[in-house]
Amino acid sequence: MSSKATFTLFLIIGLLVTLALIAAPVVYAISLSFYTMDSFVADPEWIGLANYARILSTGAFWNALGNGLVYSISTIVLQVVLGIGMALVLNQAFPGRNLVRGLSILPYLLPTVVIVLTFKWMVDGSIGILTKAIAALGLPPIHWFESPQAAMASSVMVSVWLWTPFVTTAFLAGLQTVPTSLYEAAKVDGTNAIQRFYHITLPMLKPVLTVVVLLRAVWTFNKFDVIWLLTGGGPVGSTEHLAILSYTTAFTKFDIGGGATIATLSFLFLAISVFIYFRIFPLDEEES
Amino acid sequence: MSNPKNHAGVSRRTILKTAGAAGAAFAATGLSTPAVFGQSRKQIRFLNAETSMDSIRALKVAAAEYERQTGVEVVIDSVPLGDVFTKVTTSLRSGSPYDIATVAFVGHVLLLANEGHLVDMTPLTSKHEWGKNILFPMDGKTYWYPYDYNLAWIYYRKDLYEQNGLEVPKDQATFLANAQALTKDNMSGSIFPIASNGATNWLSPGFLWAEGVEVFDDQWNIIIDSAENAPKTKAYLDFFGDLYKTMPSGTSQASYNEMLTGFTSGSVAHSAYAGRLVETIERNSPDLADKFGIFPYMDSAGSGKAVNHGYDGWVVLNTDAAEESMKFMEWFTENQLINFLHTAPLHFQPARLDIYEDQRWKAHPLIEKHAGLIDSMKGFLTDPDMTITAIDTQGPAPDLRPGKVFESFALSEMLQQKCLLGTSSDAALEIGAQKMRDAIA
Repeated sequence: MSSKATFTLFLIIGLLVTLALIAAPVVYAISLSFYTMDSFVADPEWIGLANYARILSTGAFWNALGNGLVYSISTIVLQVVLGIGMALVLNQAFPGRNLVRGLSILPYLLPTVVIVLTFKWMVDGSIGILTKAIAALGLPPIHWFESPQAAMASSVMVSVWLWTPFVTTAFLAGLQTVPTSLYEAAKVDGTNAIQRFYHITLPMLKPVLTVVVLLRAVWTFNKFDVIWLLTGGGPVGSTEHLAILSYTTAFTKFDIGGGATIATLSFLFLAISVFIYFRIFPLDEEES
Repeated sequence: MSNPKNHAGVSRRTILKTAGAAGAAFAATGLSTPAVFGQSRKQIRFLNAETSMDSIRALKVAAAEYERQTGVEVVIDSVPLGDVFTKVTTSLRSGSPYDIATVAFVGHVLLLANEGHLVDMTPLTSKHEWGKNILFPMDGKTYWYPYDYNLAWIYYRKDLYEQNGLEVPKDQATFLANAQALTKDNMSGSIFPIASNGATNWLSPGFLWAEGVEVFDDQWNIIIDSAENAPKTKAYLDFFGDLYKTMPSGTSQASYNEMLTGFTSGSVAHSAYAGRLVETIERNSPDLADKFGIFPYMDSAGSGKAVNHGYDGWVVLNTDAAEESMKFMEWFTENQLINFLHTAPLHFQPARLDIYEDQRWKAHPLIEKHAGLIDSMKGFLTDPDMTITAIDTQGPAPDLRPGKVFESFALSEMLQQKCLLGTSSDAALEIGAQKMRDAIA
């Protein structure tokens, strides 16, 4: 086959796969949001935008949206700060650097459920190693999941633990593209380490930072497993974000139309946010 | 531009020919397959939700025996109970429904029956006498075959009661005092779940039922905060708020597993569960096997008592194999049910009353060993003063609305407001009642 035919064949295959596995389910899910269905058993009934009016008028939706924003922003800020810090350390020459680099990515390689269960055992009220350590230090016990703030902090902490290695690796790769001559020239000009970080490292990392923040924002906002396994969205809905609310509405309460509406609103929110993000931080430097 | 005729490779004509041949072969295979299978074998698809190895094995052995006797293949698929209804409904939607399925909500039975997906099982259920409040007939017909009650009651440490001179409580104040008395350095006085999960709905409302609280009136209005019920519900929340202080750290997330491990590890003096807890004790902590007792949930006055429903059963779906499925269920419930119940001998508390007198059932070692417990369990069914109910079986008739209240976790919300956030019982009740109303709106 000619290269053009090969290109067309693969393009068609790609389009068909996208259509079958992404576009069709998305369209179907969006279409469900215009129907009322008590379960997957009953025949759907067209109700137009009534699901949207109902969902947008509930406190649970806005609570979940707020929780999602708090969770995403806290997680991303901490991951970026820690990720850059760790990348700067791992970018230095020291004995055993490759081993440390390998170990640093370990949490990212573990399944989420392992990380979450490990954390839950570490903070278990009776036998948790952190619980025992805190008691040994004479400090009052920490109730990791008993208050809304503590449950959210725990969720953020586990997400940071799980995903910081990814951010670190991305920044480490970015750091290795920064020419050392820039640092040498800056040193000759008498700059200190902080000045070099702000005036050389950060600007050079901007493309990586833009992509990492975008990817982590999308993934975190839709992240279901960490919170579901850790808190189930509780207590009193304090860690319930849109992904969990959509799931429980559709598959626990069997309000299929409501669940689809929440998923669609979440999708729209993310799409608009990404659009605005790209307007503020364009990936193509020439447009900026 | 390249000329497709001039290079080696696959031409468009070849692709079309190959695709055509493949399509014809696929169509021929597809068209011939049902006829071959239809002539050679019958098949029943059974969706099981009891996922212990023993239960699955018992079903597969029964299926193999049935196939040996009749030539009908019974395929057993197993999924966790929480996923079973989704699996049933999506299989219906996909056009390949299961023929028999396990269900754990009467609301799900009603939903499927209303849509015409279930076969009337009255011909099977009418052959036996059943315990109270378990068949949930709809328009005079029974659409499921319940196999257990899974009643939830309270376990206590008999040895600790004796050591501390405590009396078996008849009222909530005594129970609370006992739990407080047994809360020590390495021992928590009690554990009852409050998280937004099924465990809370099953194991924590018993005190409410003992108090005589009802969620619905005859017109399906929420009345948990009515003039009659509100004082009782608020008293329940006050009581639970105090009881929570006797529970171990991490109770806010406790589910079924924590209820089992807390008691069987010897670190909790009171827990709630059905017979599974005894089976776990026998397996993991045999030294506790003669050191526990049970009693029902009690009210504040010492006159009301209750146990909480947690039933399971099977439905036959209205598929092409419905007739064959009913034949299988008839054979299974007459010949294999006791084998199946023996896979969790104390947890699968029979719904059929004749089984309590069946020597085959009574011959299981754990049932023989815990004969006193069995008497108490049966007594819960026959005691006219015992309330047997659950959130999802509240109301004047089987209906979807109690199921919606169950799934809203409104009770969990009330308990969390009270125990975790320190909300007043008045405000917690108001929040919970509103959540219930929203759920059924």
